[in-house]
Amino acid sequence: MKCKRCGKAAAAVDLPSHNSAFCPECFFVFFRRQVEEGIRKFSLLSPRDRVLVCVSGGKDSLVLWDILLDLGYDAEGLTIDLGIEGYSDRSREKVMAYAESRGKEPIVVDLRREGVPIPEAAKKSRKEECSVCGTVKRYFFNRVAASRGFSVVATGHNLDDESARLLGNLMHWHRDHLARQHPLLPEASDGLVRKVKPLWRVSEMETAAYGFLKGIDYVTEECPMSFDATSLVYKEALSHIEEKMPGTRFNFYQGFLQGRESRGTFLPFPEEGAAAGGEEKAGRGQAKCALCGAPSYTETCAFCRLKEKVGKGGRR
Amino acid sequence: MIRVRMPQKKEELEIPGPKRVMDILAAAGVRPTTVLVTQGRKLLTKDQRVEDGETVDIISVVSGG
Repeated sequence: MKCKRCGKAAAAVDLPSHNSAFCPECFFVFFRRQVEEGIRKFSLLSPRDRVLVCVSGGKDSLVLWDILLDLGYDAEGLTIDLGIEGYSDRSREKVMAYAESRGKEPIVVDLRREGVPIPEAAKKSRKEECSVCGTVKRYFFNRVAASRGFSVVATGHNLDDESARLLGNLMHWHRDHLARQHPLLPEASDGLVRKVKPLWRVSEMETAAYGFLKGIDYVTEECPMSFDATSLVYKEALSHIEEKMPGTRFNFYQGFLQGRESRGTFLPFPEEGAAAGGEEKAGRGQAKCALCGAPSYTETCAFCRLKEKVGKGGRR
Repeated sequence: MIRVRMPQKKEELEIPGPKRVMDILAAAGVRPTTVLVTQGRKLLTKDQRVEDGETVDIISVVSGG
């Protein structure tokens, strides 16, 4: 198969969803344009931004950091050592090696030092590991960004992640989650830093191919805590559909975003969307945590409540 | 035989060659949209032919959590 863009070199990446196939050089051009379009579409980033990129050592986050640096953004990495024996050490090594190759030194938060390593925190709080991990990561992303003068936090969520999340939210009619699902969550005056997902247009396979062809050495093993993550069920279902009808995943997610753009809310119940806070309020804090000062709807934030449970050894 | 390695699953199988990549994936029971198929530093497209005696790696691209 020849590259459909240059027509000369042999194709290395076939993309049925775009009815196309690219050689490595043309694929880099394609991928870069997809990310640039994703950023432009919702004004995710400006050249003046100081971007904090959350890097796990996996393909998506390292590719995101790589492409933002290549696009000329002032992008620094933040890595959170989750305290998962073996896996966290290997992930951290990949982040450090990549950072060194770009002349960067990532900011490191070690959850063992913070007293909330994920396996222990999940056990003592009696919550699912992925849920605890999400709470802790969101807390530190914002705290580090706010305290070090970053204007925006960028994460490596891709099209597969977002479409799987959308399917899950729809299947369970999580209206409040649907209201705040977007590649852009604006900053709020109470201390929440803007959050963006610049890879929302590119698939997991495209991100992996970009990382592989660019020679980015990422962790290929899956987090041992996520083997039964519900997101994998939705991804599997969407993969099945995508194989039969290429391009469906993109249409599914983009259609959702377009619906929001045109009607102000995706929800088929606009009055409930407004009551739930709609686009403006969704996910944005209203007060400050009494213990740590982080933005929070409740008296103490989710992170401090978790830390308290871990400190008490899981007593309720 | 074609040697097919799946490092994340720590599995390996042998399939009679030659075969196209898409047929190797079918034989391994893997969805094409969920993996990269590599040969050393080369990325293979689904229509490429793999010869008897060659080795390919199937790398899952799906992350959860």
